[in-house]
Amino acid sequence: MRVNKLDRGYAIAGYAMVTPALLVIALVTLFPIGYSIYMSLNAIQSTYSGFQFSFIGLHNYAIIFGIAEFWQSLGFTTGYAIVTVVIELILGMLTALALNQPIKGRGFAVAAMLIPWTLITVISAQMWGYIFNPVYGVLNAILLQLHIIGQPILWLGLPNLAIPSLMVADIWKTTPFVTMILLAGLQLIPTELYEAARIDGASAVRVFFQVTFPLLRPSIGLAALFRILQAFGLFDLPFVLTQGGPGTSTESIAMLAYKALFNDGEFGPGTAVAVSTVVLVILLALVSLRALRTQVGEVES
Amino acid sequence: MKQSLLAAFAVVTGLASLTACSSPSSTTAPNPPSTSPAPTSGKVTINWAASPIANVGIRKQLIQLFEKANPSIKVNLISQPSSTDTNRASLITEISGGSTTPDVFMGDVVWPGQFAAQSLAEPLNKHFPASFFTRFAPGLVQGATIKGNVYAAPFFMDAGFLYYRKDLLQKAHLPVPKTWEQLQSEAKTLVSNKMVKYGFVWEGASYEGLTCNWMEYLTDAGGQVFNAQGKPNMDTPAAQHALSFMRGLITSGVSPQAVSVFQEPQAMNTFNNGQAAFLRNWDYAWANSQTPGQSSVVGKVGVVPLPTFAGHGARGYACIGGWDLYINPHSKHMAADLTFINWMTSVPAQTVLASQYSEIPTNATVQNSPAVRAKNPVLSIVGQTNLVARPAQNPYYAKVSTAIYTNVNAALAGQVSVSTALSQANAQLASAVGSSSL
Repeated sequence: MRVNKLDRGYAIAGYAMVTPALLVIALVTLFPIGYSIYMSLNAIQSTYSGFQFSFIGLHNYAIIFGIAEFWQSLGFTTGYAIVTVVIELILGMLTALALNQPIKGRGFAVAAMLIPWTLITVISAQMWGYIFNPVYGVLNAILLQLHIIGQPILWLGLPNLAIPSLMVADIWKTTPFVTMILLAGLQLIPTELYEAARIDGASAVRVFFQVTFPLLRPSIGLAALFRILQAFGLFDLPFVLTQGGPGTSTESIAMLAYKALFNDGEFGPGTAVAVSTVVLVILLALVSLRALRTQVGEVES
Repeated sequence: MKQSLLAAFAVVTGLASLTACSSPSSTTAPNPPSTSPAPTSGKVTINWAASPIANVGIRKQLIQLFEKANPSIKVNLISQPSSTDTNRASLITEISGGSTTPDVFMGDVVWPGQFAAQSLAEPLNKHFPASFFTRFAPGLVQGATIKGNVYAAPFFMDAGFLYYRKDLLQKAHLPVPKTWEQLQSEAKTLVSNKMVKYGFVWEGASYEGLTCNWMEYLTDAGGQVFNAQGKPNMDTPAAQHALSFMRGLITSGVSPQAVSVFQEPQAMNTFNNGQAAFLRNWDYAWANSQTPGQSSVVGKVGVVPLPTFAGHGARGYACIGGWDLYINPHSKHMAADLTFINWMTSVPAQTVLASQYSEIPTNATVQNSPAVRAKNPVLSIVGQTNLVARPAQNPYYAKVSTAIYTNVNAALAGQVSVSTALSQANAQLASAVGSSSL
């Protein structure tokens, strides 16, 4: 994209207008991040007269990188993010395509679909806790009634089941969000393109891959970006459902930071975990935005 | 495009709030607490942070009685989370940030090490005369003493007991079990005769309560968490024996696999619903199981000291739990705080705790009172049990306990073998007490 003089003038005006907002963001975002980075470079002792800092460089990072639990929770969080986001994108795409048809009761369907998304995660997690409960849980009761299982299953107590169970609860809750973004994208696609494709005799599958999908790529990228960033902040779901167990198999990186900071009072290593997460997330965001930008450019040209 | 950039920023902000929480909310240095009592002429309101005690309305009753006896002080109850870890996290956040509330908080008996090291509790011996501490039963003040300072006043004590269904044992002509092996075989008989759904329920979830359960089996088997030199010592034949037995309770069908996600309320409810023959729980489970409306086994329950492994002596071990009263070092109402603690550990308050709610009082006079013992069957068997404390006399106890319960829980869930769990626990214990830990 070449930038001409007029564009530059617009850019300056634009920056002038967003400056107040950026200042607020700097205050509420950059200051805490900066302060956390500062904390992560210090040994911190809590005393009767406040915190005492002594600079120790990257020692806190050396501590956390040397601990298996850190890598394990990073691995869990990454795997969890990838699996849930991919499934949510596929399911979200299917529901968005269905809801984009001029069907009867579409407004009602969209409203109903949004219910899981509007529930506070802690509440929906409690609800899933009742569903998965090994003693009086609904899921076991249904499966036992249908003779699919002979014994109640411990959904949240075995690692091979606890992780997928958490994923199901997450996908149930956030697929509507992906659907909404994709639906908005679908509605922006001009109907003339579909009409042209139909006149050319393209099949429905072909229309999807040749018309819908390319034009929807920015929306898909945006939904994926939002979800990846959220998934890396995973906290409330495992906090309510498993407390990170069994063992530490569902301990997300945010839970690890919480435990170090607020259970153990280890402010140095705890902030080092938090800062590592922020760095990782910013990198992911930049990469995703970069990918998004080229796509937008392609579409415009 | 700009919108999505801003949106991305917003998301990053959300994540960053995690780190933001770690910044101290107040950077101004709070004044060191004055030792001279504040004037109490006007009405003073103090905030008492306490988690629900035994899941009943005990806190409000005590506050009412206190306010009646001390009309110049009003107590505002801040109800804390019932999960001890979440409770501690909220207190650490408030107090390390310099908050002046809560004034007094109820904290676990295993907290003094950490709270002393991180300056989260006011040393009480600087305010109370030495004679104050003589009212407590032996050993309790010592548990709250770190490097010569007493950081908390013992409020009530908990110990683990075995609860059993009298009616079921009678019907099956079985004696009350004295050994763990006997308990296992009797529970098996009851379950296979379809007299009860589950044999034995206890607390096996990945949390502090599992450390308590573990200490009872481990100590009885002859093991320990740290040896005399303070080195981690959990990878031993005794520990193998203890953990294999616990896992065996699940694999033999005596305990449901669900115990590996049970905390006290789940175990208690299962027993109260009549679904289990045996229950390991704290002293308050007595009152809890005998409350009509919340329990369907009223009058059918017996309580005895926990069993022992065959050939390991006459009686088992009970983990000491319980709660202390601490003062926030930033409190502005030190004199009222002390009055409150003084009253809460006095004979009238402790009598209410012990006779109405089957808690074990810390006040020695009340503990030994025949009138109270008559009303509290648990109290009369406390003397028959061996007590074991958790290894909490250090600032790292939170990490020590995490190393224990996450690994024991992993073995209970069948995620790792017993020996892997123990060697992992040992390695994590070593790093917990070392300098390079998280």
